Amino acid sequence: MTVPATETTGTWTSTATGDGSTLGSRTRRRWRRVRWTLLVLLSLAALVAVLALLRPPTSTTPYDVENTRDDGSRALAQVLQQQGVSVVQVDRVDDAVAAAGPGTTVLVPPSPFLRPEQAELLATAAGDVVVAEAGRALLEAVSGGTIALDEQASAPEAPRPAECDAPAAVAAGPSRLAPGLLVAGDLVAGCWPVPDGRQVALATTVRDGRSVTAVADAAFLRNGDVLTDGNAALALHLLGAQERLVWLVQHPADDSALGGTSPSGPGAPGEGAGLLDLVPPWFAAVAWWALLVAAVAAVWRARRLGPLLVEDLPVVVPAAEATRGRGRLYRRARSRGHAAAALRAATADRIARRLGLPRSAGGDTVVAAVERATGRDPHDVSALLYGSPPADDVALTELACRLDTLESEVHRP
Amino acid sequence: MVLTWRAVVLAAVGAVPVALWPVPGVVLVWLLVVAAVCALDVALAASPRQVTVQRTVPTSVRLGTPVDSRLVVTNAAGRRLRAVVRDAWPPSLAARDDSGSRQTHTDPSRPVRDARHPVDLAPGDSVRLRTPLLPTRRGDRYAGPVTVRTLGPLRVAGRQAAIPVGGRVRVLPEFTSRRHLPSRLARLREMDGRAAVQVRGEGTEFDSLREYVVGDDVRSIDWRATARGGDVVVRTWRPERDRRVVVVLDTGRTSAARIGTVDDGSVNVGGTRFEASVEAALLLGALADRAGDRVQVLAYDRTVRARVAGASGPRLLPAMADALAAVEPVLLETDWTGLVGQVRARVSQRSLVVLLTSLDPAAVETGLLPVVDRLTGTHQVVVAAVADADVTTLAAGRDTVEEVYDAAAASRGDLDRSAVAAVLRQHGAEVLEALPDQLAPRLADTYLALKAAGRL
Repeated sequence: MTVPATETTGTWTSTATGDGSTLGSRTRRRWRRVRWTLLVLLSLAALVAVLALLRPPTSTTPYDVENTRDDGSRALAQVLQQQGVSVVQVDRVDDAVAAAGPGTTVLVPPSPFLRPEQAELLATAAGDVVVAEAGRALLEAVSGGTIALDEQASAPEAPRPAECDAPAAVAAGPSRLAPGLLVAGDLVAGCWPVPDGRQVALATTVRDGRSVTAVADAAFLRNGDVLTDGNAALALHLLGAQERLVWLVQHPADDSALGGTSPSGPGAPGEGAGLLDLVPPWFAAVAWWALLVAAVAAVWRARRLGPLLVEDLPVVVPAAEATRGRGRLYRRARSRGHAAAALRAATADRIARRLGLPRSAGGDTVVAAVERATGRDPHDVSALLYGSPPADDVALTELACRLDTLESEVHRP
Repeated sequence: MVLTWRAVVLAAVGAVPVALWPVPGVVLVWLLVVAAVCALDVALAASPRQVTVQRTVPTSVRLGTPVDSRLVVTNAAGRRLRAVVRDAWPPSLAARDDSGSRQTHTDPSRPVRDARHPVDLAPGDSVRLRTPLLPTRRGDRYAGPVTVRTLGPLRVAGRQAAIPVGGRVRVLPEFTSRRHLPSRLARLREMDGRAAVQVRGEGTEFDSLREYVVGDDVRSIDWRATARGGDVVVRTWRPERDRRVVVVLDTGRTSAARIGTVDDGSVNVGGTRFEASVEAALLLGALADRAGDRVQVLAYDRTVRARVAGASGPRLLPAMADALAAVEPVLLETDWTGLVGQVRARVSQRSLVVLLTSLDPAAVETGLLPVVDRLTGTHQVVVAAVADADVTTLAAGRDTVEEVYDAAAASRGDLDRSAVAAVLRQHGAEVLEALPDQLAPRLADTYLALKAAGRL
């Protein structure tokens, strides 16, 4: 017995040399392929460049002269510049000291990262010094101990008169600036004292021919509060007294006066010693070179050996998913009645076919035929095939198993 | 331009001088060294566009039969050719040659890499390359280009070109159901009365007269002939011959459904419903042709996708395999009115019309049911449907509550389909539904039964 052959019938042979392209045609093809991508990338780059150039310089650092938010100081710095004061912002203490000189005011807004050594360094700055909301160490250093911090003071509710003869305070008038300074010594003038206490909000003195002013509350520098009471007048008087204003906004990583890489004191966090200082000097060069090697490796792996071949595949989802979906619907709706009815009907249908009953046979006929075939109690069979729906999932599973058992007992008579 | 791993190593070695003298000059110099070596190698590599490639493949092959794609690569360049040649074929053809036994490539995440051949040729030389292929899907498969990557003498960099060499393999249906053919042919011979087992020939076509022997059916005694002669004479019958069998394959959306199949060792597991239809059509065609009937095949959804008519004998099966090889089911609703029109236009006499489709209730109610009368009025219609083995498995699940609900859903589907089948039977059609591996023998049995009953 041989089956007619559907085997190999012939061969297909074809020959080709090269791909028919020249250097020029390949270049043109590649150019056509990449030109739109290139155009889009170039336009994006140009857009980014234009946006970067047009964007006004802003900052979110508190007391920064470019910060336009409520905690910034752009308003004050702009007004000072319009008044002819040259404002220089620095972010390192040694830069501030270097920039300071005669005819200069050094402003130190609240600087949480200021270390005692840096405070000592700041105290040596030539020129006037204005410290706002300064810490204990800075106050001690710049005032030589004549101005101290009192942290128990509370902010007043109503403006208080200046009660001193400092020109800035007189110009500002009544103010609500929080007190918090204690004055020690006669050469120090204290302004806006607490009605029944010793705390003052502003203390000013002259040290080595330089004016040193401490303000307990830095609100007068902030955009949000500069217009409150006489804050603006106070700020302009204090900071506009000299031609140059060195505005120190200390950077957290500022390590001036800390003596290089070693942490300055016991218990001090080692943030000054960067990880980069621990690696050998050639590390950075080799890291950059590794990047280059990675680029070469990318070129090596990127070029595929010929184009990908595509193939149409048949549908992926099995058709039985529809049946599964129906089963999940039954389950989600807890429709045990429907599920049980389907199982019962299918079993009855198969049994009836096996026993040779017509499709039109009624329930009684089927039950009677099953009784004859298996010898089971007709009431049991009737309850199993045509009973009430199961009450829960366990009952449904049990019903399914009992239907299987019944079906296995039925044989063709 | 292409780079090899040697270029990466060359660049990586540069880390040493860069580490020893970390100055920009060293970096720049080594960069230039790498670039110069690569450029030199590219310049010295043979041109891949001066390579002549000849590809020879069989035009058609049966699914699951290993074949080879043979390349002849000739170095027409004036330089020595160090190259890697890739003979690209679609994934369903690619195979790995593991010491004679070829493994199917079915996992897309693990592409077969053995279609690459290293080549080292002097100018003017040629080499033969063999790429093993194992077809795992029916249909026309077109080869991709032959990619030649030539390398320079340092093998650091090179050039690459994809040479468009044609090539097509028509993968014919596997016809695994042919193993059912010998037993069905034996049954056919028994019916014909030619078998060793002496049974009375069945059928309704008058064959000859012979003497009565004890055991013959008395109803077949020819009284007129008995009266003429002295002895009791009986008529013998034989099955009809030269009947027309029209096998119609539905290539619409219900045939495109992916169904669960039974793993019977075939390469082609996890196919669509149409694959089982093709198997059944081939077996029925072979059987009916042996029985002396004229077989026509029609694949139809909204237009004729394939058609075989007028072929018989040894030419029938190759014609059917070739015609059905390139047919793929499409995601369209079958136009049953047009299909009935096609059948009526092709055969006018009473014929056996076999519709290979599915019993999807919605599709049958809107498509086949309204027009089935126009066929059953003239012809004997058999609706043969491919059942889904996955659904059968679902219907038997009892282990968890989820499985019982799935079984209920599968039972409901079974009931719907048997209701549709009952309606079709009322319209005069024979209906059979079977699992993919059972459909072909069941259809052959149905054909033999109809023939024995003289209903063709």
